[in-house]
Amino acid sequence: MGDHLLEVTGLKMYFYTRDGVVKAVDGVSFVLDKGETLGVVGESGSGKSVTALTMMRLTPMPPGKVEAGDAKFKGRSLITMKEDEIRKIRGNEIAMIFQDPMTSLNPVYRIGRQIAEPLVIHKGMSKKDALLRAVELLRLVGIPNPEQRVKDYPHQFSGGMRQRAMIAMALACDPDVLIADEPTTALDVTIQAQIIELMQELQKRTGSAIIMITHDLGVVADMADRILVMYAGRPVEYGTTDEIFYKPMHPYTWGLMDSIPTHSLVEKSALNPIKGQPPSLIDVPSGCAFHPRCPYAQQRCTDEIPEYRIVEGTHGTACHFAGDPGFVRRLVENAGVKA
Amino acid sequence: MSEYDRQESRNEDHGIEDSHSGLPAMPPMTDAESHIHDDQESRTLWGDAWRRLRKNRLSIIALVWLTIVVVSAISADLWVPKTLGDPRAIDSSTVMANQLKDSSFSHPLGTDDLGRDILGRLIYGARASLTVGIAAVAISVIIGLLLGALSGFYGGAVDSLIMRITDVFLAFPYILFCVLILAMLPSSARGIGPVIVSIGLLGWPSFARLFRSSVLSVKQNDYVDAGRAVGASDSRLMFRHIMPNAIAPIIVYATMSIGGTILTEAALSFLGLGVQPPEISWGRMINDGRNYLIGNHPGLVFWPGLAIILTVLAFTLLGDGLRDALDVKMKD
Amino acid sequence: MFQYIVRRVIQFIPVFLGVTLILFLIATYLPGADAVQLRMGEKTMSPTLKATIRHQLGLDRPWYIQYGDYLSSLSPVHATYYDGSTAASKTSDPSVRVLDGSVALIIPRISGSVPATGPVSYEVRSGVPIERGQSGRIAIGSLAFEFDPPDLGVSLYNGRPVLTILGEAYPFTMRLAFAAIFLEIIIGIGAGIVSAVKRYSIWDILVTLGTSVLVSIPVFWLGLMLQYVFGIWLQNLTNGAFYLPVLFEGGSTAPFPAYAYYILPAITLASVSTAYAARIMRSQLLEVNNQDYIRTAHAKGLSDSQVLWKHAIKNAMIPVVTYIGLDLGAMLAGAILTETVFNLPGVGYAIFKAIVGRDFSIVFGGVTLILLVVMIVNLLVDVSYAFLDPRIRYGGLEE
Repeated sequence: MGDHLLEVTGLKMYFYTRDGVVKAVDGVSFVLDKGETLGVVGESGSGKSVTALTMMRLTPMPPGKVEAGDAKFKGRSLITMKEDEIRKIRGNEIAMIFQDPMTSLNPVYRIGRQIAEPLVIHKGMSKKDALLRAVELLRLVGIPNPEQRVKDYPHQFSGGMRQRAMIAMALACDPDVLIADEPTTALDVTIQAQIIELMQELQKRTGSAIIMITHDLGVVADMADRILVMYAGRPVEYGTTDEIFYKPMHPYTWGLMDSIPTHSLVEKSALNPIKGQPPSLIDVPSGCAFHPRCPYAQQRCTDEIPEYRIVEGTHGTACHFAGDPGFVRRLVENAGVKA
Repeated sequence: MSEYDRQESRNEDHGIEDSHSGLPAMPPMTDAESHIHDDQESRTLWGDAWRRLRKNRLSIIALVWLTIVVVSAISADLWVPKTLGDPRAIDSSTVMANQLKDSSFSHPLGTDDLGRDILGRLIYGARASLTVGIAAVAISVIIGLLLGALSGFYGGAVDSLIMRITDVFLAFPYILFCVLILAMLPSSARGIGPVIVSIGLLGWPSFARLFRSSVLSVKQNDYVDAGRAVGASDSRLMFRHIMPNAIAPIIVYATMSIGGTILTEAALSFLGLGVQPPEISWGRMINDGRNYLIGNHPGLVFWPGLAIILTVLAFTLLGDGLRDALDVKMKD
Repeated sequence: MFQYIVRRVIQFIPVFLGVTLILFLIATYLPGADAVQLRMGEKTMSPTLKATIRHQLGLDRPWYIQYGDYLSSLSPVHATYYDGSTAASKTSDPSVRVLDGSVALIIPRISGSVPATGPVSYEVRSGVPIERGQSGRIAIGSLAFEFDPPDLGVSLYNGRPVLTILGEAYPFTMRLAFAAIFLEIIIGIGAGIVSAVKRYSIWDILVTLGTSVLVSIPVFWLGLMLQYVFGIWLQNLTNGAFYLPVLFEGGSTAPFPAYAYYILPAITLASVSTAYAARIMRSQLLEVNNQDYIRTAHAKGLSDSQVLWKHAIKNAMIPVVTYIGLDLGAMLAGAILTETVFNLPGVGYAIFKAIVGRDFSIVFGGVTLILLVVMIVNLLVDVSYAFLDPRIRYGGLEE
């Protein structure tokens, strides 16, 4: 299995704080192949962003510590390689886009310079050449009049334009993997669609693999090849997009799907957000972390942590009752009652 | 960012706050939460604050030192003249014999140029420092509360006028105004009173700003609206709802200000503008002692300076501790 | 940016008026102080004489006219208006009127109609305002503008103009202030950076504790103790050169070059400011390090030191530079305490001597001058802020 572009196995990232150990990432595994898109889905605090940051070694350590597991990129461990080696990967072979374009750009430097920076450090371009390339990149991401806008400061850009600039910056070095951490959450709905479209289009052109981190299953529905659903730092379900959407096995995935507006999977009119709050990562509920919010929870769910297991093909989940026909029937019935 | 915010951030004490390093995707964990499981003896804000303050070692050391200073200053008349000699009187017959002594059993910190015990003078000098520190800050707090309340509560033209005035005052080190005022008084009129009044009258603007922003933030809370709705009067709202919530930052800032005021008093007395002999002030002692440095008698300057440093530091540390204990954010 | 600067300048006007008004009110109406005695020195006067002098000095006029006079005395520009009837002559009745106005106020104030008293009006009465300042006169139509240094009165002690006395002292204050700022920038910013970068290390603890102690130390005590340590303890090592009360700048037999005599005063003056600069630098850097764009910079593959020097420092510096700029104003203003302790003949020391010698005009003129300098430097710092921060330079601040 060493031929995947990116392979994460059993990754655990714990933060040792004054108030206790925060198990931000607790045993996450997935694979990513060339040109593929992986959706990582979960509520805020589910550890999806930290997973990405841990792979990039961008979490503060200490207090953070990789407890176990590994993330291999082209066969080399991102976790154990030397700092200056991973630095050559960051922004070059694996690039990131962050959630809030308002704050993710440095306010005191011109847009062009910020886009050019990875080219200067990774490709050894001269500043002048890199700036010319930045103009092209801005044009590529659909910024009108890029020759002029390259001289602007971030505050002169609108939110959508800033996120385009961030994408341009991430794509500067033609990365193999693009990690997008909630790239559309801070934007308004019409802009969201444009950004997603842009990313898909660019992916076709450049062949980058994308890890799309989001709290919204709808965002990755059209885009992702595979989806990883996370809850309280743990993976709860992993499979192809079709498997996740047509044969969801974990009640949490089911809940997430119910909370997608106007989803046609099950005929229904009302939005059904999952009841309750995501748990504190310091004080994770015993057993299955989802049991306090799970409408189908049994005694066993409180007592026993469900093992993540493959149910069929590559489709796996961490639910005691996955593959149990009676359980699935109850799920379907319940959905019917709601409708 | 409004101009006031900028002024604020310019003037605030950039204390060493322990901001949590921003871990991504982590639930917020405040100090307050982690103390919820503490013993349940008293659930009041002050009880909690005291419990938290007790855990702050530096604050407790500061508190102990301040207690020593205050108690010895208050009780000085009872024991200092008997044991160390009257530090204000000059006994011309023994001046020559007693002056500029090094430390000994009867004079732990030695004697000054007029044969008076330095420790005794320090203890009496604490009276001036503490009196000025506390009284001047009290005046500033009262003026600041009144103007800050007017400003925050009524807003509009009143607010802009008062904030303009605070701009004027905050644009300068107020010690210059104090110097001018005190320099104009005839020598006979100088003394502790004018020092208190001049510092007090000039130190209020930061309190006014602080209280104004407290009032503004509390005013937005629902229960204030609720109070309005059931017809509570402005003054009732002020004293029942706003005051109790706004008082914590004032206490913290006032504690820290006492230290600064003691420094100002020492500086004014050093320039000869403050407390006049035979009354004793630490600043004045330093000025009197500076001529004896060259004769290798540094104690006359050293000890009063150390007393100032320790006392000012103690107020600062106590203020820091109170800030943490009362969970006051000085930044906003 | 233009808007921002204009707004700052407009905001400067009420501050200027407020400060000068406070100064004026203190100098004229302070309870317990005798305005006449202060201006005439401490001689005994009969009540009638006092009243006469009070009238002659114009102290019995309404406060706003006196305040206007004070403002116009500070103004470097005076306008004279010729009504065109007869040529001005030294002996005839005045055919010229002086429009005394403050440039800072923009609007000139017509003072020709005010009862004539005080140095400015004296010249009106004798009809020779033209002769007052022979250089720097510009005539526009029937208005003549003269550039005059602000008039701060004369010393009660020896009759020399206060501005001249302070002007002689200013170079010392400037040199001291720049030396202190230099220390503040190097040590304050350096310590702040070290302490933020090596957070929780022994250096951080030293800096945070050290700054707390440093701001609690009275500067005059620090100056005296430095003198004691270097001048007396280490006398043999330094040849006594650092014991400044004896002779400042060492005179012709000085064993050290002149700048050496600024070292200890500069350390003293810089102490508190350096501590604050370090704290601000530290807290700014820690704050900036939590910003998203720093994470972006790391994600681009920049090394820690590249992120620090290229991305973090530049953002963190903006408030620090502002603070230090404001501080420069305060230091230029004359550090009364530091100069007094080191007998350094700057503006602050001149004020201290005047306090002791009860020379009111120097104290008042000195404080006025200090505050003017502080105000102008504050304004310049505010304006330069616009150049430092692109968010102001190009378009207004958002949100």
